[in-house]
Amino acid sequence: MLVEVGAIVENDILSDDVRSMVIYVPEIAAQAEPGQFVMVKNENGGTFLRRPFGVADVDRNSGRLLLIYRVAGKGTRELAALEPTMEISVEGPLGGGFRFDAESDGKRTLLIGGGVGVAPMIYAARRLAEENPAAKPVFLLGIRSENELFWQDYLQDFTEEIIVTTNDGTAGIKGFAIDALPAVLDKYDIAHIKICGPTIMMEGLAKLAMARGIECQVSLEKRMACGIGVCLGCTFEGRVSGRRWKICHDGPVFPAEEVFEQ
Amino acid sequence: MNFARLATDFAGIKMKTPVMGASGTFGFGIEYKDFLALDRVGAIISKGLTPLPRAGNEGVRIAETPGGMLNCIGLENPGIDSFLAEILPRVREQVGDTAFIANFSAGTVEDYGMMAAKLDVDGVDGVEVNISCPNVREGGIVFGTDPKAAAAVTEAVRKNTGKPVIVKLSPNVTDIAVMAKAVEEAGADAIALINTLTGMVIDTKSWRPLLGNVTGGLSGPAVKPIAVRMVWQAANAVRIPVLGLGGIASGEDAVEFLLAGASAVAVGAENFVHPDAVERVAEDIDAYLEARGLTHVSQLVGKVKIG
Repeated sequence: MLVEVGAIVENDILSDDVRSMVIYVPEIAAQAEPGQFVMVKNENGGTFLRRPFGVADVDRNSGRLLLIYRVAGKGTRELAALEPTMEISVEGPLGGGFRFDAESDGKRTLLIGGGVGVAPMIYAARRLAEENPAAKPVFLLGIRSENELFWQDYLQDFTEEIIVTTNDGTAGIKGFAIDALPAVLDKYDIAHIKICGPTIMMEGLAKLAMARGIECQVSLEKRMACGIGVCLGCTFEGRVSGRRWKICHDGPVFPAEEVFEQ
Repeated sequence: MNFARLATDFAGIKMKTPVMGASGTFGFGIEYKDFLALDRVGAIISKGLTPLPRAGNEGVRIAETPGGMLNCIGLENPGIDSFLAEILPRVREQVGDTAFIANFSAGTVEDYGMMAAKLDVDGVDGVEVNISCPNVREGGIVFGTDPKAAAAVTEAVRKNTGKPVIVKLSPNVTDIAVMAKAVEEAGADAIALINTLTGMVIDTKSWRPLLGNVTGGLSGPAVKPIAVRMVWQAANAVRIPVLGLGGIASGEDAVEFLLAGASAVAVGAENFVHPDAVERVAEDIDAYLEARGLTHVSQLVGKVKIG
């Protein structure tokens, strides 16, 4: 964990409200693992707190960190206005990220991303594809409409298949990720599921995974001030352990049964 | 950093610098070990402890506001017994000889006394009595807005500990001088101010309060002028030393508090944004002293020129 000020390499438009930012922060890029996040601050901006973003990918050779974010409020509007060569402060890598130890069984993983929660799954997909090229992960991509199909460009090299659902039916299956899940589980022998997306989406998916006895991890998000387990803005009580977890420090990834009722 | 210029004895608590990490924003200190040198921190003030473990408030607990933030954590903490058994030994192992101050609150005067007695142990260099948490009924603010109740709490703590006693005052009062004098007369060794100011944010889409607890405590740069004013008023009302805090983000900010009459300062919400802030503020104070040819930080205390 460290704070590193780095230059923005790219800050590109992916859709009407989604942007990709590449930042040169070699020390953080060297340390960050899939599922971890960073806290970002534009030191010349008008907001006080840092903003958390999942690490979408890193390129350790070039020292670059990729973030993909939705422009949703004042903080992200200011980020979207930054231009290459401008500097930004990045704190990280934070949290523990996804666990991949169960994947040592060699069986296939299903990754599910919803909305901007797809971002951290890019790095997870790459890691899984590199570790087990014979059984690359299957990806269930839940997006609003066809204008968010850009995610496929980031994912296709690391996945066996990408199944798309859109809310408006403009691409793939019309509906939500949960509508496509049973067919995916019928088609592939899935032993592991990792999900990042809105809570309501993750709850339905995780319940189905747990009902089928599939090992499932979910990546959580909640308002936080510090990202290092100090402010206690993001705590919750684990369902199985009864422990008070800090999403930032103990997560953001948790076993599904710790978060959702089975 | 020139520690000869910065070393501060605050109400008997020996510190290498006059800059502390404020309660609720600095964990137990050890959470920051990747970002700063813990042995260059003046003092660590712990997250607020209570007699029993507390889960804190439900719902959204943090909201950004112009120049700061609101929180309604609700004193989530592992409880005094778990702190003493599991956390304090780990802290002592990792922070070297840096001063460690335990912040606590309780629901009754008797429990304040009990907490003080339990914290009267090796490894704790002082206690900060929280009578000013705006977010829980038992968080002390009922004691922090009534001078008689504040005095009763202070007396109960005083009787039960040999450690330096700092009483942390609420800014949510009409006359801070009255509260400061009340706890001084009841035996406090020092006062700390300000705790957060009660605030509220409403979501204009849902017409609901943004925070789960409806209201929360405001902190960050937005509160600094209020904090400086209250430190100045309190310092003029008492003889015991004052710990100044509220929106400090830089050495210049800290110098304002010192000039207003604070003998030491604490960095709060800024720790969330810049986790090396406690060390950086001390370095900046040192540079300020050097640039002006001053030989010790105490030469600034209370030196604001009025009139």
